[in-house]
Amino acid sequence: MSRSPGWRLRTEHVTAFEYGSPARSSFNEVRKSPLPTSRQTVHDARVMTTPGAPQYAYRDYWGSAVVAFNVDLPHDQLVVHGVSTAETHEQRRGSEASWAAVGAAANRMAELVAETELTRADDALRGIADELHAGTPATTAAAVVDWVHRALGYVPGVTHVRTSALEAYREGQGVCQDFAHLALAVLRAAGLPARYVSGYLHPEPDPVIGEPATGESHAWVEAWTGYWWGLDPANGSEVGHRHVEVARGRDYADVPPVRGVYAGGGDIRSTVTVTITRVA
Amino acid sequence: MGDLFDRYAGAATASKLHGGRARPPVDEVFEACGRLRDAYHDVISVVAGMSTEDVAARSARLARAFMDQGVTFDLDGEERPFPLDVLPRVFSDSEWRLVADGIAQRIRALEAFLDDVYHAGRVLRDGVVPPAVVHSAPGFLRQCHGIEPANGVRVHVAGIDVVRDEDGGLRVLEDNLRCPSGVSYVLANRAAMARVLPEVFWGQDVRMVADYPARLVRALRAAAPTGVADPTVVVLTPGVHNSAFYEHALLARLMGVHLVEGRDLVCHGTDVFLRTTDGELPVHVIYRRIDDEFLDPLQFRPDSLLGCPGLLNAMRAGRVTVANAAGNGVADDKLLYTYVPDLIRYYLSEEPLLENVSTYRLIDPEERREALARRSELVFKRVDGSGGKGLVVGPHASAEELNGLAAAIERAPRSWIAQRTVALSTAPTWVDGGMVPRHVDLRPFAINDGEHIWVLPGGLTRVALAEGGLVVNSSQGGGSKDTWVLDRPTTRARVPLQPLRPAAGRSSPLAPGPPMDTGPPVDAQRSQQQ
Repeated sequence: MSRSPGWRLRTEHVTAFEYGSPARSSFNEVRKSPLPTSRQTVHDARVMTTPGAPQYAYRDYWGSAVVAFNVDLPHDQLVVHGVSTAETHEQRRGSEASWAAVGAAANRMAELVAETELTRADDALRGIADELHAGTPATTAAAVVDWVHRALGYVPGVTHVRTSALEAYREGQGVCQDFAHLALAVLRAAGLPARYVSGYLHPEPDPVIGEPATGESHAWVEAWTGYWWGLDPANGSEVGHRHVEVARGRDYADVPPVRGVYAGGGDIRSTVTVTITRVA
Repeated sequence: MGDLFDRYAGAATASKLHGGRARPPVDEVFEACGRLRDAYHDVISVVAGMSTEDVAARSARLARAFMDQGVTFDLDGEERPFPLDVLPRVFSDSEWRLVADGIAQRIRALEAFLDDVYHAGRVLRDGVVPPAVVHSAPGFLRQCHGIEPANGVRVHVAGIDVVRDEDGGLRVLEDNLRCPSGVSYVLANRAAMARVLPEVFWGQDVRMVADYPARLVRALRAAAPTGVADPTVVVLTPGVHNSAFYEHALLARLMGVHLVEGRDLVCHGTDVFLRTTDGELPVHVIYRRIDDEFLDPLQFRPDSLLGCPGLLNAMRAGRVTVANAAGNGVADDKLLYTYVPDLIRYYLSEEPLLENVSTYRLIDPEERREALARRSELVFKRVDGSGGKGLVVGPHASAEELNGLAAAIERAPRSWIAQRTVALSTAPTWVDGGMVPRHVDLRPFAINDGEHIWVLPGGLTRVALAEGGLVVNSSQGGGSKDTWVLDRPTTRARVPLQPLRPAAGRSSPLAPGPPMDTGPPVDAQRSQQQ
């Protein structure tokens, strides 16, 4: 099988923090650099900050590239710029596993089947997982993601990053990370190892080369059905060219694009913009 | 033998502590037939010769010495003395060798395990420990993945608790690999005994404990980042309100290093500095006495004021060594404990020298059912608990408590384990004017300097002061005994007992005996400069 032609996507992800009063110092970790995967080649990835600061880079437990830095001069603003170019491909499906093989994999990957604070299921969700548990692991995963896509309405501003799957489900609406958390809760309740993926999504299905588009920080899931199968519950689709994968984990708490602590500074406001351009 | 122990030997054998249902405990001093154990021959001959009034007076002086020094512990917010008993606990050279070797073996296996789970996780893939057990351990900190300690040591200091069971064998009760505390009591106990009861040491080669701080600072310096020839070592304390602050201050003073709080430290990039009046001083090794979750607010609890933001990445970058390493809680998790004998076989290809106490894995539905059916006989512990908190002793708990416990376990089976209730060995203990049997355990302290695991000869013997009580932790109202290791086998010819009878109520100004270990100058000025 020949590989589909890749999309070369340049992403600029800017997070700007404004402090109510100058912060004396701040310590931050950034996860904005794409992951090298079987579906994606990373050409370059940089993190820049204003004020500037020396950076320390490492890969975390989940394999995500982390850039850590601290600013130890008073500052009333902090801008974290992530710039990257990655070439993305359509997914290649592997061979589908039996339920027995998925069960064995679930033992090995216990932490990706276990509930987390954000992906806890209740009896109702476990009931839904039972109903959707039909056919093969792959058809079950597809059915779960399809169900989540219909169970929630995409409405920004109702939820926040600490909203759990159950809270979003009761609310009936949310944004991409709520779709992902709800999908993880049901997939795991159905016995499928599943992980949270954060990344970027190109808004256009057929973008004009060289034309910047306002993209978004996005989240989706991967379910293990013999291989890691990427599914996007917010869009009700499979993961493909439009998706740039940055970090993986059990839920959002493992992959925040920017996490930090600061001394002084009062209240903090942040704005996020993502610009994504297909360059080739 | 004097009056003191006349009735004791009988009391120990016909113990009423266990209602005649379970097997009776072994006594540390007397065999079941009433015969005195060899290691105790000399010390008992001295103490047995004292009058009741004299022992009472010495006991009172020991208590006063501790209050004056501030050797107290915090029990539900109240400062109390940690009573030191007049009669030491004594190990023969040969038995101690088993303890020390068994502990060193355990630490070698646990070091290998920690290195493995924070890197490749071979032990999980090989099926020795189920991944679910490690992944669900509250002490498994994924943030610590890939951190490489400078000299490979993560367990710089360990407190592996050991008890003697009904057969007389020593078993490991639990591992403490995070911030084991209590060594200051060992030092203070020895110093107080040498002052208040000097004559009990005479003619005996009791191995010394006073070099513990020197051993510790040597191990900490050996753990310094590569390329640092003269490292700056600090002791990081949560502050004066912590119940073990006395110990933090004592160790810093005896090691000749700075005692600091989190706010005294600052990270610039991946370098750590101590703020001083002369400016910022680079720090290379931090002997921390704060819990992992407070170490670095960037990685763990963001509201922590006790640690220092950026510390974990400074460790990861190899610019500073934190002792003990962060993330050790996965190895002293009480469910993981049940796998330690397998870890010894897996990593070392050796058989465990010290056995575990039989323990139920409550995540297994069948074991859980059986343990809950026998809940009035077993001891239940939280997997991440220490200091005797969250401990339920089945035989001593009410039906109501036990039913509440059963419900808590059904809700969160991973959070608990159950152990057979061991009738801990007893030792004669001075209580209310007489020698009575009280249960004891032992916390030996071990230091790993990367080349050698050294076990402090003796450790802390804790005593459950309530009659029949089995919980010996200082935080649960226990006392302690000075703990001796005799330097050579006690095979000397028996000499007839010559009771000493110093006047009651005053110390005995006797002629100087052979050199003895008087412990550290706990109330003197700092004894060494770094």
